[in-house]
Amino acid sequence: MRNTWVVLKREYLERVRTRTFLVLTLLAPAIMTALMILPAKLTTMGEKPNYIVIVASTQSFGELLRQQLLSELTVSDDDESEEAATKQKPEDQYTIVIDTTTTESERASLRDKIDTHTIDGFIWLTDDALAGHKVTWTGREVAGSREKAWLGDAVNHIVQRQELSKQGLNSSQADALLKPVKVESVRIDHGRETKNSGSSRFLEITVMVMLIYVAVLLYGISVMRSVLEEKTSRIMEVLLSSASPTELMTGKILGVGAVGLTQIVVWTVMGGVIALPSLAAQPNFGDLQLSPLMMVSFVLYFLLGYLLYSTMYATIGAITTTEQEGQQLQFLIVMPLVLSVFMLMPVIRTPDSATMVWLSMVPFFAPIVMYARIVIQTPPLWQIGLSLLLMVGTIAGLVVLCARIYRVGVLIYGKRANLPEIMKWLKYAKA
Amino acid sequence: MSTLQSPPAPKPVSTQHSASAHTVELQNVRKCYDEFVAVADLTLSIKPGGIYGLLGPNGAGKTSTIRMIMGITVPDAGQITVFGEPLNRAHMDQFGYLPEERGLYKKMKVLDHLVFLGQLKGLSAAEALKRASAWCEKFELSAWTSKKIEELSKGMQQKVQFIAAVLHDPKLIIMDEPFTGLDPANAVVLKDVLLEMAKAGKTILLSTHRMDQVERLCQSICLINHGHAVLEGDLSQIKARYGRHNVQIKYDGDPSFLEEKSLVQSFNDYGNYVEARLAPGADSQDLLRLASSKARLHKFEVMEPSLEEIFIDVVGKSNA
Repeated sequence: MRNTWVVLKREYLERVRTRTFLVLTLLAPAIMTALMILPAKLTTMGEKPNYIVIVASTQSFGELLRQQLLSELTVSDDDESEEAATKQKPEDQYTIVIDTTTTESERASLRDKIDTHTIDGFIWLTDDALAGHKVTWTGREVAGSREKAWLGDAVNHIVQRQELSKQGLNSSQADALLKPVKVESVRIDHGRETKNSGSSRFLEITVMVMLIYVAVLLYGISVMRSVLEEKTSRIMEVLLSSASPTELMTGKILGVGAVGLTQIVVWTVMGGVIALPSLAAQPNFGDLQLSPLMMVSFVLYFLLGYLLYSTMYATIGAITTTEQEGQQLQFLIVMPLVLSVFMLMPVIRTPDSATMVWLSMVPFFAPIVMYARIVIQTPPLWQIGLSLLLMVGTIAGLVVLCARIYRVGVLIYGKRANLPEIMKWLKYAKA
Repeated sequence: MSTLQSPPAPKPVSTQHSASAHTVELQNVRKCYDEFVAVADLTLSIKPGGIYGLLGPNGAGKTSTIRMIMGITVPDAGQITVFGEPLNRAHMDQFGYLPEERGLYKKMKVLDHLVFLGQLKGLSAAEALKRASAWCEKFELSAWTSKKIEELSKGMQQKVQFIAAVLHDPKLIIMDEPFTGLDPANAVVLKDVLLEMAKAGKTILLSTHRMDQVERLCQSICLINHGHAVLEGDLSQIKARYGRHNVQIKYDGDPSFLEEKSLVQSFNDYGNYVEARLAPGADSQDLLRLASSKARLHKFEVMEPSLEEIFIDVVGKSNA
């Protein structure tokens, strides 16, 4: 125990004192934020059809579409366009011009204008096109799904309205008929209604699960590297003359784990300080709630997941002689992790199906799958308890097993051990 | 644990264990790695106090033997007893180990490193710090204590490694080739420290293939070849067993006594002196009387066989 503590302390202090740790701890959140914000910024920065030409047979029909397009921008229930609408008036975002010349030569000249960046695109909405139920949007880029939906909805709306008015309905009757019904999702959590939209749940799960995944991988590899370093620097022999392999291995794993925990605590505090004002300002993110159960289970599953995987990483470090060899073998470890990330979507869809319940019990999947289940829909406590128990048991077993391999492996320098050899070590080594 | 001053001052041989208890005893110890037999059937005993030499050509099984004594590896067969008890983990804190392959954390600072290793051997952080500083002073490392290991020269790293091995004042100190990589001046410092510790009652196991070192430092030796002990025991007794057949003579006058075939088997004139090999069964005293009657003698010395001669002889025989 004492030796484990001494090794743990060294491992922790030597890592935390380095400049790399400081830089990484402070910069990683900045990089992460940049990674999350940049793609969003890039899509909004993408070329929007800012200058649009509507080619229609009559001025009035073109005007109808223009009004409809602009009004859909304002009243749309879509979260993102709502956000955009508060920032900018639709009239400022888009200049929509109506063109009643419906000749082929006009089409050609509009195309040229797109090429010369005079306009961003045009919609071909002549009576012929309407009769053929085929309206074309021509733009510098093929319209993205949002634009396509926006244009399509508007065109359909006015066409349907026109049809309805032909059938004798006035415009307000037509609008009432065409008003879309909005489906709102309400989630029941412990008998309480929460207005969490599916997307915010998904965000929580992805962020937390990715944090578990990345951290387990990152610190696991770090453990493997440091075992390899001790082997190649030959300090292992000195250490083994003072402490047992189990003490050395657990001390190292716990020390690196403590470093990881420190980093996550720093990040959480930093993230909290940075994000709180903006979270409060955004009603949509206000729903994102972390219940105490979620927080506790995050820490538990992170720690147990880390212990489970880093024990295996330490063993890989012990049986290999170079980092390249270690990297070749580590896919064995990464596989269950990747598999559990693949299971995320099915879990979100059916968190309490029998398959998912049992998959979430498997210790290698539990950190991600069980954690995701807890976030989506709190499973019965016995299931959480059982999965934790299974994990602790597996870790204990792995530590004993891996310590045996470790004991022999760390003294083998020349070559990588093969499977039969490892089996032999397991049998004979007294840990 | 006794709080012995570090570096330890000479003091009388410790009588903590009964006189009969050997510091280390190996009985029919065997260790194989796959097909390769590293140690075949080794029996040896190391008496408390003094320097014990573990000798042998490369690959003879020295390091494997040491690892088993240290408890780093477990023998496949046989018994290891230390301080009169079967080897167990609790004994580890009584061992100090300088491995042949030096290993230190390159990025760690010298003093931090020594304190860490001292703590692993059961010292408190404060005590380890105190002792490490004293040792660094003795080895002229004081100016380097806050430098990283990688900034040190090979020789300095070697000294740090040595300090790490003796910091916790172990009863048994195992040194695997301790002198390699040291310049002559530092080698002398290290030799003096080892002798001082031996006088203070420590048992030192010195593993090397350098005959001259063993000849000068060790009281007892074990010569290993192919995993077997081919020669074991008190160094002077071993030499005595090999007999004294060579005589070094410096003289003026009549050299005819060298031609006496019943006494001299052969001789070699080196100019300043002559080395003669006695005939089988001949008494060196007869040769002395004969020589003094013929010539004026400045020197007449019966020579011990060198360990190197014995080594080559024994290894040659056991390989044959």
